[in-house]
Amino acid sequence: MEESIIKHIEQELANEEIEDGLELTDDLLGSGILDSLGMMKLISFIEEAYSIQVAPEEMVIENFMTVESICKYINSKV
Amino acid sequence: MNFSLTKVQQQLKSDFSEFAKKVLNTSIYERDKDLSFSKEDWQKCADFGVLGISVSPEYGGYKIKLDLLSATLAMEGLGYGCRDNGLPFALSAQMWTVQLPIEQFGTDEQKQRFLPPLISGKKIACHALTEPNAGSDVFSMQTSATKVDGGYILNGEKCLITLAPVADLALIFAVTNSKLGKWGISAFIVETNTMGFTVSSNKEKMGLRTVPIGSLYFKDCFVPEKNRLGKEGAGWSITNHSLEYDRCSILASQLGAMEYQLEQSIAYVKERKQFGKSVGEFQSVSNRIADMKLRLETSRLLLYNVAWIKDQGRPAMLESSLLKLQLSESYVLSSLDTIRNHGGYGYLSENEVERDLRDSVGGVIYAGTSDIQRNIISKLLGL
Repeated sequence: MEESIIKHIEQELANEEIEDGLELTDDLLGSGILDSLGMMKLISFIEEAYSIQVAPEEMVIENFMTVESICKYINSKV
Repeated sequence: MNFSLTKVQQQLKSDFSEFAKKVLNTSIYERDKDLSFSKEDWQKCADFGVLGISVSPEYGGYKIKLDLLSATLAMEGLGYGCRDNGLPFALSAQMWTVQLPIEQFGTDEQKQRFLPPLISGKKIACHALTEPNAGSDVFSMQTSATKVDGGYILNGEKCLITLAPVADLALIFAVTNSKLGKWGISAFIVETNTMGFTVSSNKEKMGLRTVPIGSLYFKDCFVPEKNRLGKEGAGWSITNHSLEYDRCSILASQLGAMEYQLEQSIAYVKERKQFGKSVGEFQSVSNRIADMKLRLETSRLLLYNVAWIKDQGRPAMLESSLLKLQLSESYVLSSLDTIRNHGGYGYLSENEVERDLRDSVGGVIYAGTSDIQRNIISKLLGL
C-alpha cells in the first residue's frame, strides 16, 4: 500500500520531482509536494484503489498529512 | 446516465419559476441603480422554502431532502423566473457555502443553533474566505486565529464578501497554525456584532448590484471554541467540500436566465420589423439565436452531468471546472447577444435588457476565475 501510494504521488501528482524520493513522513500538502488539486486527486485515487469513501470531515491533517497517516487511515476503513 | 427528469423534478423547477415570476420581479431597475438589497424578497424566498433546499428537513430544510440535481433544477427555475440575478446568486452563496458546511461539519448544537434562523430568513450569513492578498491563491490567507483560553482571537481582514454588509453571521476562515500551510486553516461561525468585528459599507460594483458586498475587519475579536466549525485545521476540507455544490447552484440560476434571454430574443426578433420583414429572418440574427441555443444546451448538459456525478457520491473536479468555464463565459456571450438582438432598445437601461450583461461578468471572476478553471482543466489532463 505504502509503495503504491508513493509511486502514484511521485509519478502522477507531485508538483515537482522530489529529490531523494518521497518519504513516508513527508508533509504532502503543507510542504507543497501536492497542491489542493493534487490532494483532491490523491483522495480520488485512494477511494478507487481501496474501495473506500472518504467523508469530507475526514479530510484532515490526522488522516492525510503524510503517506504514513494515509495508510493508517485506509487500514482503519477497510 | 439518464437525464430524464421525474415528474417531481419537473414540478419543482416549474414551482420555483412560477414563484419567482409572481412575487420577485418588482422595482429591480430602481434597486439596481441605487444598490438596494431587498430584505423583503429574501424573506419571500425563505418563506417559499428556497433557502432550505441545501439542508435536511430536520433542521428546517425543504419539506423533502433533495438530491443535488433536484436542487439544481429548482435554482434553474428560480433563475428563469427571477429578473433580479443578484438574488439567486446571494441565496446560493448562503445555502451552499454556509448552510451546507454547517450541516456537514457542525456539531448538533451548531446545527440547531444556526441553521433554523438562516433557513427561515431571520438571519443572513456570509462566507468569508477572500483577502486582499489571497484571491485565487486563497490558502495564502493572513487572517489569524490565535488560541487562547476558551477560544480564539481573530485578527485580519476579508474582502469582496457577498452579503457582508447585511449579514448577521459570518463563516470565517483563518490561520490557526501557520507552520502547517493548508492544514493550518480553520473555520469559525461568528456573529457580526461581536466585539472587535467590524463590517464595511456596501461597495459599488458593475453588476449584481442588488446584492451588497463588502469587507470584514477583525481586531482582537474573541470567538468561543464552540463556534469553531469542524476540527482545527478543517478549513481546507470545508472549502473544497462546498465548492462543487455551490457552482451547480449559482450556475443553475444563470442557466435559467440564459433560457429566458433566448425566449425573449426569439419573441423580439420575430416581432421587430425592418426592411419590411422580421429581423429574425435575417441570417445574421437567426444565426446568433442558434448560437445562443447551442450555448444553452451545452451548458445545461455540463451542469446536469456535474449534479448527477455528485449525486453518485463521486468527485467532479474536471467536470465542474469545465462547467464553470463554459457556463459563465456563455452567459456573458448570451447576455451580449441579447442586447444585439434588441438593438438600441436593448442598450437602454430602462428596458432591463442590458443589466444581464453587467450581472454576468462577475461569473467569470468569482468562485474561481476562468483563468483558474483553464489551469485546473489542463492540469487534470496531465499538463
